[in-house]
Amino acid sequence: MDNSGKEKEAEALMAEADKKIKSSKSFFGTLFGGSSRSEEACEIYVRAANMYKMAKNWSAAGNAFAQAAHLHLQMQSKHDAATNLIDAGNAFKKADPQGNAINCLNRAIEIYTDMGRFTIAAKHHITIAEIYETELLDIDKAIAHYEQAADYYKGEESTSSANKCLLKVATYAAQLEQYQKAIEIYEQVGTYAMDSTLLKYSAKDHFFKAALCHFCVDTLNAKLAVQKYEEMFPAFSDSRECKLLKKLLDACEEQNVDAYTDSVKEFDSISRLDQWLTTMLLRIKKTIQDDEESLR
Amino acid sequence: MSSDFESYEQDFGTTTAELTNKIGRIPKLSGEEKTQLILNVDKQLEEVRELMEQMDLEVREIPIQSRAMYNGRLKSYKQELEKLEKDFKRSRIAYSDEVRQELLGDDGGSSEGQRAHLLDNTERLERSSRRLEAGYQIAVETEQVGQEILSNLHGDREKIQKARERLRETDANLGKSSRILTGMLRRPVAEMSNCSQYGTYSIIRSSEDSTAYHHVIKGFCRLQSLEAGVPEACTTARCSPIQLSGTC
Repeated sequence: MDNSGKEKEAEALMAEADKKIKSSKSFFGTLFGGSSRSEEACEIYVRAANMYKMAKNWSAAGNAFAQAAHLHLQMQSKHDAATNLIDAGNAFKKADPQGNAINCLNRAIEIYTDMGRFTIAAKHHITIAEIYETELLDIDKAIAHYEQAADYYKGEESTSSANKCLLKVATYAAQLEQYQKAIEIYEQVGTYAMDSTLLKYSAKDHFFKAALCHFCVDTLNAKLAVQKYEEMFPAFSDSRECKLLKKLLDACEEQNVDAYTDSVKEFDSISRLDQWLTTMLLRIKKTIQDDEESLR
Repeated sequence: MSSDFESYEQDFGTTTAELTNKIGRIPKLSGEEKTQLILNVDKQLEEVRELMEQMDLEVREIPIQSRAMYNGRLKSYKQELEKLEKDFKRSRIAYSDEVRQELLGDDGGSSEGQRAHLLDNTERLERSSRRLEAGYQIAVETEQVGQEILSNLHGDREKIQKARERLRETDANLGKSSRILTGMLRRPVAEMSNCSQYGTYSIIRSSEDSTAYHHVIKGFCRLQSLEAGVPEACTTARCSPIQLSGTC
């Protein structure tokens, strides 16, 4: 593929489109069908942007898409404008995530929420949150966007997608030690999952995480919580997670770090603990050790 | 005579002692040696029986006074002989303790075998429990994968349901719009032709008469009635506009 050739073509197209716009601003342009000029210009912009994409010049492609979206807005075709803005955002994601991509995506979301298309707005909130999560590592903003997305999904009665976003919020909240928020979300999702035939096998996982968050706050809370969950959801008491929780509770009461470590090791030997779980368990272990030291 | 008896007694004693010895040895032996020893013992038993008979004859020749003593001895010898014969018979089929030891090796050797056997068992048990653990791990992993798949399915189901509803709505809307369009196509064809007729007629008449103004007004009234959707009016109006303007 002759990429540099494509780039030159793209530049030529951009110049042509610019000319069209300028000419349409003149007197004659407005008289003799200025709108068709703008439409043609839009099309040319989109073609130019695609050529830039082929040449892997992401920022130029993003710019071209943004221009096209601008024109669409002038012509009052919001839908097309929003689509072009999303394309621009995706192109900028690869080149310059911080400023332009998020900007474009935000503008697109505004247009969609204006039109009342909340589902698609929620989907793009998730995209933005992912960018914050992976490339910019700004967890707070990511949480905010995930929450927004979950709210929109709830509004549109897509509880499953809403729950997925809420779970992400909860994991990050627990990492940032906002335990109350995390507990609420996990309990909510767990209760919802309990009743659904498809999701009931994941319910015990949610209750386990909620109980761990309780643990990080206070041991007594954890005990009450575990009892509550057992009452609500009898199958929970048979799971290995519940057994582990009970052992941990006992170890905490007796301030016995070794018993704690042993039971955690035993659980790990069967199913490996992931990063989040290890972090939380380590925090709980530290609280036991601190208590032990303070007692001495 | 009694000296013969005594010599017989001595012989009897020695042979019985030998016999006892040999009978004791029989169970320990086997095969060739055993059969030979058995034949040997048999022969000796025969000799002892002959001895007994001769002793018997001797005793009969003794005068009756001293016979009692010899009778007593004879009886005891006979009993001894019977006992020997019984022992002999039993010894041919008797088991000996030593045989078992020979078969199974030394005492120390058998406990070694048991220990090795136990270790082997333990190892086999450990292997089985390790395999069970691995199987359990795989089962747990499978369960986790299943959980994820199920939640994905749940989400997808919602999306598909929403999409289906939206499609049905779109379908209904398209149906409505197509009906409106066909309706729009039918009516204006008639409207447009009448509009053009009235337009030209009023212009011609207005140049001739002062009442032409009225004609134009009437024309517009007809147009309005047409817009209200009364198609019959246009046919009558077309035929005699002048007559109608006279009556109105």
